[in-house]
Amino acid sequence: MIKKRAEVVVIGGGVIGCAIAYNLARLGCRDVVVLERNYLASGATGRCGAGIRQQWGTEMNCFLARESMKLFEEMNQLLAVKRDIELKQGGYLLLAFSEREMEQFEQNLRLQQSMGIPSRLVTPGEAREIVPYLNTAQVVGGAFCPTDGHANPFKVTQAYADAARKLGVKIYTFTEARDIKIAKGRIVGVDTSQGFIKTTKVVNAAGGYAGVIGRMVGIEIPVKSERHQILVTEAVEPLQQPMIISFSYNIYCQQTPEGTFMMGFGDPTEPESYNIKSSWQFLEEMARKATRLLPLLGNLRVIRQWAGLYNITPDRQPIIAHSSEVSGFYLAVGFSGHGFMIAPMTGQLIAEMILEQELTVELKLDLERFERGELILEPSVV
Amino acid sequence: MRIKEHPVLEFKRGKMIKFNYNGRELTAYEGETVAAALHAAGIKTLRKSTEFQRHRGLFCAIGNCSSCMMEVNGVPNVKTCLTRVTEGMVVAEQRGKGDLGALY
Repeated sequence: MIKKRAEVVVIGGGVIGCAIAYNLARLGCRDVVVLERNYLASGATGRCGAGIRQQWGTEMNCFLARESMKLFEEMNQLLAVKRDIELKQGGYLLLAFSEREMEQFEQNLRLQQSMGIPSRLVTPGEAREIVPYLNTAQVVGGAFCPTDGHANPFKVTQAYADAARKLGVKIYTFTEARDIKIAKGRIVGVDTSQGFIKTTKVVNAAGGYAGVIGRMVGIEIPVKSERHQILVTEAVEPLQQPMIISFSYNIYCQQTPEGTFMMGFGDPTEPESYNIKSSWQFLEEMARKATRLLPLLGNLRVIRQWAGLYNITPDRQPIIAHSSEVSGFYLAVGFSGHGFMIAPMTGQLIAEMILEQELTVELKLDLERFERGELILEPSVV
Repeated sequence: MRIKEHPVLEFKRGKMIKFNYNGRELTAYEGETVAAALHAAGIKTLRKSTEFQRHRGLFCAIGNCSSCMMEVNGVPNVKTCLTRVTEGMVVAEQRGKGDLGALY
């Protein structure tokens, strides 16, 4: 039997939902329920590219990313993790294919360095010193941050879930939130596939299905879901330290600690949908793109491909906020493909918001910014 | 023992050729696979398991199981059970999961 009432109900058992639940419990609110329709990390979290980047173009994003990385670095101890989260800090190598892109990197770099993020500019030659088989024929230069990296999204989610459970949080998997009941403009409970839970506070952390949860309280959240695909090769001995990424060439590719190469790109023609099927078109285009930039990878076999949902906002920045329309409805949605890397800070901030504590950082990620036309201009999105 | 019949490949025995295995010169018949030639030469260990370094030899012999992957002419993870041996081919036991380092 599931609990009949809870102080907070978190909808979504991905890394965001589990991080929120853990932080609530850590800050003293232990009467928390997490609802997951499938199994933990079964949605966008477990399907993501697993990269952790601190090289951003706005002060807020640099702060969220830098502080999240600090938490990733200490996570094995902080959460008393049973199995290592597989953090690998091999860096992120951002490649520029035009002078204009390079100028943008320079501008971002000044901001990053002012905030203590150890990024630096590299010439094509220096990029080849970091990745010797990189084809720099069209590369103008790049930016490199040695402390960026990778962690295992399944293990990070599990670590947050285990730590949350230890503090009393109840996590119900294979339990779907079907409706959110409202009376006099306030939340009164959540109807689930296992019964009704009385509550006054609900967190929408439903990833690709954030829009569906929003409609349960009558809010039209400006997010759309879009399929993004990834493929992974067979494993070989460690060879490539950094994640290689380019916004203009449209690619990311990194070698996981296990030895496989994981890569993806964004298809600009991808329609809004909940489709998470793999396509042969992706396989061909991905292989072509990857072997042009990293010809050595042509010697590897592809062993698997999959897809997941990006939940995208108009400015490709998340909504981390309390709803102004429905009291008690909190949003941690619209991460637009970079939720995993800022999950540790997101968990902390939403918990602070719910417990009405002073926020660690001033956020401009409210839901109403789109209506006001105050979109966040972040130049470094994939 | 020499493998002469195979469930998915046809072994058309050609002339005697020489190839290199871990620095040793071995002979083979043109038309047979690398694994078959190694087997005939009494070499049963084709690779080691990546975690515990256990010996791994010819197992499925039809390209499914990864047990016979070796470095062939510098390329790791070649399925030697399906790859035909050629004159002067350089075959070596690979390091761990395979090393692409020799190729650049």
